[in-house]
Amino acid sequence: MSTVDTGGRPVESPGQSPLPGDTDRVRAVVRGLGELLITAGLVVLLFVVYEVYVTDLLSAGKQREATAALDTAWNAPPDPQQPEQPEQPEQQRVEHFDGLAEGRGFAKMYVPALGADYAFTILEGTTERTLEIGPGHYLSTAYPGQPGNFSVAGHRVGKGAPFNDIDLLNSCDAIVVETRYSWFVYRVLPKKEEVGTWSTGKAVDPRCNGVSPLGAPYNNVVGQEIVSPRNSGPIAPIPGMPGAETSVGEQVTLMTLTTCHPQFSDRERLIVHAVMVKQWAKDPAHADVRPPELKETA
Amino acid sequence: MYGWIWRHLPGPTAVRAVTALLLVAGVVALLMFVVFPWLEPKLPFNQVTTE
Repeated sequence: MSTVDTGGRPVESPGQSPLPGDTDRVRAVVRGLGELLITAGLVVLLFVVYEVYVTDLLSAGKQREATAALDTAWNAPPDPQQPEQPEQPEQQRVEHFDGLAEGRGFAKMYVPALGADYAFTILEGTTERTLEIGPGHYLSTAYPGQPGNFSVAGHRVGKGAPFNDIDLLNSCDAIVVETRYSWFVYRVLPKKEEVGTWSTGKAVDPRCNGVSPLGAPYNNVVGQEIVSPRNSGPIAPIPGMPGAETSVGEQVTLMTLTTCHPQFSDRERLIVHAVMVKQWAKDPAHADVRPPELKETA
Repeated sequence: MYGWIWRHLPGPTAVRAVTALLLVAGVVALLMFVVFPWLEPKLPFNQVTTE
């Protein structure tokens, strides 16, 4: 039996196809294309795994480091030169937020309604790098406990997903912010559909003490809203009125959370507004005393 | 494509299998630690800030 050389490839037995060389080439191209498509599919699947799980792992480590760094800073004496100055404790126990560097942790937030272990260190700034570590504070918005709008952005998918479930927050749910010297308790404002019936409805809940629809110029500020990404209104001192000029003294002490919406998309932004209802100064003699709001896990 | 790679791996089947696994692991690591972190901010589903 004689063989014909067709470019080094073994020749198929004649009779199956009139042009064995062409069929082989077509088959190779089709197979190569199929393998490419399968590979592309696997890469996309792998990307989902990366986005939803791997970034969580990486961010969890960074968040742990940020929390450890913050704890170290809080436990250090305020002024290393004069660690013992008991005669002026009032002056020393004042928060200093000015001059915070991008990506530095300065507060912790707790949302007991999302679980007793829900705790994140909030960092300064909202760049990609910072938000990989944890929730980030919008520069130029107020700091915890200050009049104005303490605004924080957080990821909803991957990267630790700190704000994954903030759509589940109900009005009056507590958002507790811990700083070096204080605890600040914010509570989610009434939602749009609750505003009308607030005084006869949810207001009777003891948890809602201090929470009520805000008067002018805050009429349109509700517990939850969904806005366009181009809308900077939600983080303005008076949410929804970015240009409004009010003196700091007239401003309500608000907190705003922003994240992407709907989940797995960034078409819109989910916004949660809360109002401060209580604040405690930490007692240096009883450093382990924690606000009772942290137990509202139900 | 995969057949071509398999045919060009040296050694007996066991050695080829190990080499192939290492190649897969290398590609996955390259994707996870270089390509995806670069690609991710360019995709439109995880921007959380308002402008």
